[in-house]
Amino acid sequence: MRQCLDEAMLQSYFDGELSSSLMESATLHLASCVACATAARELEEETALLSEAFALEFADSVPTEQLRRRIDAAVAGLHVVSPVVQEPSAVSNFFRSLSALFSLSPQRAFGYAALMVVLAFGVIFGLIKMKTSVPPSSVSQTQKQPQIVTPQVPNKNETVAENSNNAIKEVTTNETPKITKVKDRPSTGNVESKRAPVKLLPGEKSYLQTIAKLDSTIKDGQNNMRPALQVEYQRNLQIVDRVIAATRNAAKKNPSDPDAADFMFAAYQSKVDLLNTIADARVYNRTQ
Amino acid sequence: MKGPGSKLRQKFSLVPAVLSVIISFAGSTAAHDEKKDHKSSEKIERSTPVNPQASITLCVMSGTLTVRGWDKNEVRARSTDADQLDFRRVDKVKDPSTPPTRIDVMVLDKHTPKGDCQAFADVELDVPKEATVQLQTRDGGISITGVAGAYAGSQNGDITIDRASKFVEAGSVGGSISLKDSTGRINLSSAGGGVEVDNVRPVTPDDTFEVGTVSGDIQLDRVSNSKVIAKTVNGTVTMRGPLARAGYYGFTSMGGDVVLMMPRDASFRLNALISEKSDIVSDFPLKYVPHPPAVPVPKVSPAPQPPPRDSKGKTDPKTGPVIRPIVVVKPVIVNPFKRINAICGSGDATISLSSFGGTLHLKRM
Repeated sequence: MRQCLDEAMLQSYFDGELSSSLMESATLHLASCVACATAARELEEETALLSEAFALEFADSVPTEQLRRRIDAAVAGLHVVSPVVQEPSAVSNFFRSLSALFSLSPQRAFGYAALMVVLAFGVIFGLIKMKTSVPPSSVSQTQKQPQIVTPQVPNKNETVAENSNNAIKEVTTNETPKITKVKDRPSTGNVESKRAPVKLLPGEKSYLQTIAKLDSTIKDGQNNMRPALQVEYQRNLQIVDRVIAATRNAAKKNPSDPDAADFMFAAYQSKVDLLNTIADARVYNRTQ
Repeated sequence: MKGPGSKLRQKFSLVPAVLSVIISFAGSTAAHDEKKDHKSSEKIERSTPVNPQASITLCVMSGTLTVRGWDKNEVRARSTDADQLDFRRVDKVKDPSTPPTRIDVMVLDKHTPKGDCQAFADVELDVPKEATVQLQTRDGGISITGVAGAYAGSQNGDITIDRASKFVEAGSVGGSISLKDSTGRINLSSAGGGVEVDNVRPVTPDDTFEVGTVSGDIQLDRVSNSKVIAKTVNGTVTMRGPLARAGYYGFTSMGGDVVLMMPRDASFRLNALISEKSDIVSDFPLKYVPHPPAVPVPKVSPAPQPPPRDSKGKTDPKTGPVIRPIVVVKPVIVNPFKRINAICGSGDATISLSSFGGTLHLKRM
């Protein structure tokens, strides 16, 4: 061996890992080459020093050159075998990819954790939204109708077939629905139309007409009516209405009794007087 | 570097500054109010000559109206709340030098520069004794003394009238009405307020006394008008005093009681129509008179029966008219109302009562 020994060769020399022929030629070279002999001594001293310092660690088996070769050979063998293994079917590929999902590398674990957090947030948000959007049943009855009655986007084809409220049907089938108080009410129109017509007693109609006129006059300016006046008006109106109901009932039971009719007319007249008084007071309020 | 307490010290230094600003504002406001009070405490007074029988109108939104009759032929208006008082002549005369027969008292304040019943002010008026006043207020009370005629209207305020000599018309929705020592024609109405009357006499035989309420009580003392009519829906009517000879007293009540307290020698005829729920309780010996003869029920002749037909539908010309017994289809209805006619003494006055639900009490004084 004429070439100088490199460090790896020297290390293998000292480790006794060289073959016998290489060991013999290396020994001959060290004997003839001063530089390699010096390098060998230095390496030997360093090795001795490290051996002392890491005596505990070196007690364990350390991969040597032979071990490295075996590992390299094994790896090379795997590379040779792998083409044979890489012919899986589609099903096995699927299962392999599925099983690969569950092999937890640190990156995957972090990804899974992040995914779990996102899912948890999503579930919590969904639950909260469900609770707020689904009110109790008692409230929903009252809130549903205005929502249906006042559609944001008028649509001619939009109908509420399951709702029996005629007013609502009218609105939903109308192209330009208008929000009115009447439409929020239950179908009073139907109820009123189904009611039997009230049979008026003789002479009652003129009183009712007068009362209706006065009542509409008062209602026109009811917003201007002061609370004290309104309270007094309502209180006395209730009294008069009760009396009218009682006298009317008596007159109805005794259609041939003029006295019963007189009492009823007196009660009606009391209401007319009261409404006149309130109407005057209302006008006074408005003109002031 | 600022210490942690530096901001706190700044805040503490700001607090007295803010307080001082607030106190200074409050002080200035109080001073302003004092000035205003001082100004408002000044009484404004206006006078104008009028016809002795003039008609004077006064109207405010809120405030107490006080009217007194005096011997001068002029109107004097005073107020401590109003900013301005003025008279507006509303009669049309050719000679403007003659005293007006109709004037409006204009009350103005800062908030209502237009007038027309919008002022919030208490106003006092002195008017001729023979004058007629027409007063209206929404919230305040009305007090009238010693005038010839009075029209008074208030929604919630009380109305008090003394010594009116010719007529009184007063109406209130919720307030009470009090009338004393007056003569002439009287018409009082209140929905919820009570009405109290004492010592009222007629000037002429035609002077009627009418009062009506819905739920307010009516109390009449010494009312000697020859015609007294009191109506209430649910209030109680109480009348105390002697009855006018040949006077007429009509009471209508739908639910309230009617109480008449009369001298022992009261002489009246009672015509009462009461329902089955009503009663008459009398301290006076009542001599019941028979009911006026009932309207005879017209004999109902049976309707001519159609001629009998045979099975083929042809009339049998041989059979004569068939008289069949009358079948009463409708049940007999008992009249729920009672008519009571009675006399006490010689029956000089007439008391007519219609009560649907109340009780009539005839009591001795």
